[in-house]
Formats: sequence, C-alpha cells, structure tokens
Amino acid sequence: MTSDADRRAARLLRWYPRAWRARYGDEFTELLIAEFAERPRSWRRSADVARGGLLARLTGAGLTGHELAPPEQVRAGLATAVCSLAAFLAFGVAMWSQLAVGWEWAPPSATATRVGMVAMSAAALLLAVLMVLAVPPLAVATARGMARGQARRLRGPLLLAVAGAVVLAAGSHHFQNAWPGTGGHSWAQQGLVPGGVAAFSWAATLSVSSYWAHPVALSAFPPAEIAWMAVSPLALIALVAGVTGTMRRLDWPPRLLRCEAWLVSAAAAGMTVFLAGGCCWVLAEGTRPGLFHAGAIDVASLAVMMLALSVARRATGRAWKSVQGAH
Amino acid sequence: MTGVAGAKDNTLGTFGRYAGPATLILSSLADGPKHGYALTKDVEAFAGVRLAPGTLYEALSRLEGQGLIEALDSDDRRRPYRLTAAGATALRAHLDDQRRVADVGLRRLAAGWGASS
Repeated sequence: MTSDADRRAARLLRWYPRAWRARYGDEFTELLIAEFAERPRSWRRSADVARGGLLARLTGAGLTGHELAPPEQVRAGLATAVCSLAAFLAFGVAMWSQLAVGWEWAPPSATATRVGMVAMSAAALLLAVLMVLAVPPLAVATARGMARGQARRLRGPLLLAVAGAVVLAAGSHHFQNAWPGTGGHSWAQQGLVPGGVAAFSWAATLSVSSYWAHPVALSAFPPAEIAWMAVSPLALIALVAGVTGTMRRLDWPPRLLRCEAWLVSAAAAGMTVFLAGGCCWVLAEGTRPGLFHAGAIDVASLAVMMLALSVARRATGRAWKSVQGAH
Repeated sequence: MTGVAGAKDNTLGTFGRYAGPATLILSSLADGPKHGYALTKDVEAFAGVRLAPGTLYEALSRLEGQGLIEALDSDDRRRPYRLTAAGATALRAHLDDQRRVADVGLRRLAAGWGASS
C-alpha cells in the first residue's frame, strides 16, 4: 500500500528528469522518506529538491558545468541549441514579417529601421541556408541509424517531426492567402523581400500576437484563423521535439556531429546579427506611430530572443568544447 | 583552492559551489561505504552541516560521474556508495590545499592578533 510519505516523495521526485529518476529515483525516495520521518515539514527541503531537479534538467540539456559523457554532451548541447533557435525564430520571424508587411506599403523613413531590416533579412537568409545545410548530415546519420537496427527507436520522433513540419507548412501556405500585405498576390512591387516569403512567414508566426491580450478584438477574427493561432505553435513544438528527439537518439559519426556543431555555431552568429537588427529598429522607431511602430510585444519578443540566444550560445559553447575534447 | 601554490590533482577544485558538499561526502566515505541517509547523519555529526537531499544527490551524481565514488549493489532501495582510489587521491589533494590555507591563516592571525584564548 502506498503511504503518504511515498506519495509526497513521488511528487518531489517529479522535479527531476526521467533519466535521473531511473538512475537515482529509488534511493532518493528512501532518503526523502527517512527525512520526512525526522522532519515532517520543511519548505527549505522542498526548495532544495526543486532546485536540484531543475539543475538536473539543465544538466541533461547540456547547460551546466556538470559535464556529461562527450557524445551525450554534444548531442544535448545541439538539441538545446536547436530548441533555442526555434524559440528565437518564432518570435523573430513574427517581428520581421510584420516589418516586411509594412515595407510592402511604403519603405521606412528612418535609416536605422532600413539598416535593421536589411540586417534581419540577411540574418534570416543565413539561418535558412544553415537549416537547409543541417538536413543532409541529419538525414545521413538517421539512415545509418536505421540501417543499424535503430529504426524502432527513431520512428516516433521522426513521425512527430514530419507531422509537425507538414502541418506547419500546409497551414502557413493556406493562411498566407489572408495576408493583408499584397492581398494574396505572390510578389509585391516595393518590398525588401518577395511578398510570398513575407506572407508565409507572417502566417507561420500568426500566434505571436498581442491580440491574445485583447479577447474582444480577437473574437472578431475568423474562427479558422483563431484555430490556426492555437494549432501552429503545437505544430512547431512537434517539429522541434521530433528533430531534437531524433538528434539525441542517434549514434552520430564524429565527423557529422562536428559538422552539425559548426552549423549551430554559425546559426548563433546569425541570431546575433538578427537580434542586433531588431534592436536597431525598436530603438529607431520607439513608440512613433506608423507602419513601423514598435509595440510592447516587440520589446517582449526581443527579451525572449535575447534569452534564447544566450541559451543557444551556452549550449553551443559546451557542445564545441566536447567536440574538440573528443578529437 | 586551485590557485594555492603546490596544489596538484585537485579535482574537487573544479566542483565550484559543490566543492564543499563533495568534500564532506568524500570525507564521510573515507571510513567506509554509506547510503544517502547515513551520509547525511554522519556529515551532520562530524561537521555540524545538514546536507539537504537535492544538494546531496547533486554532489553524489557529480562525484560518481567523475569516478571519485562508486555505487555498490544493494538488496534494498538504499544504495550505498564507496570511495574509489581516484576519490581518495582527490580528497587528499583538496584537504592538503585547505590545510595549507588554514596554516597560513592561523599563522598570520597569531602574529597580528595573538594566540586564541
């Protein structure tokens, strides 16, 4: 029969990641039960366990000074960097596509806004190229893993990634036709980027919106669009979870792992340029009304992007250290 | 402690804020294997410090990862740990460093402030 102490210990144990629980769960539970018998209530103990659990999760993500075994450290670091890049792009592309929409109507008057927008566009192009380049090594490592009997382990994350990508691409393609920039025409007359690209990016990141804070205005949207705003983040999460799950389960050849680590490092540089461009625009436009007005959500987006960039840089740095240490 | 002249093989110096708990755990295991709760009680008895469960297991997992301690098989859910040869070397190096610092501090105190009453 499960005692109250067992249940309390099981609750506290949930702070820790699954792999940690599999290794230390039983003995940690015994320790907690002995502690409960001696001191039934202690908020300091609960806080210490929560802190330990979060640290164990950060360690599993390759973000703490507690080094994992080299291949696992590289895989964990790369997976965390990919998650950070996805979060960065979700907010960054939402911001960038909004500016691209504005430029379809009229170019910005402030030079700093133009410079910022060009920097963001160049960085977005670089990131897109790096993501395309990252696919072949992942595909080769996956095919190699499948051929070596890992198909069962890889099937789940691969299906999740494909499902997420298909939903995100199909949904974005469908909703880009409702884009206000060109009325659905694929090419604009005076945009910095092709209208179709801006429209697709706008539709893919429709969920990053200040309308969530204004339910009355949001309710006036077509129901299908509101549904897409709710579904698209889930599709992105599925895509990222699938890709990172695959990356972490693969037995990577060192050369391919090194190649992916290089691409992720280059992506961190691209994110830095993108962020600098975004800051340039917000500082130049401030709260000035007009097509390129920067709102509270843009400032909040920049804060999220800064956090994502710092996590990506830390994860990439630790992954690189392990890659170099392994050679 | 890594900056102390003459320090060598001080693995614990790389543990940062966990160097303290790690030293206490290794010192406790120096006289024989112990499981988590026994470690907590022993450390409390000889150092007057109560290691909280999260802190204890964070340090244990780091020490195990570095090969300074190892887990022993157990019939029940309480798994005992014991010091490895590498752990004994690291503990000795770390305590030597600490003793050097303590000696310098005590010598300077005695010169500037007199002997303790």
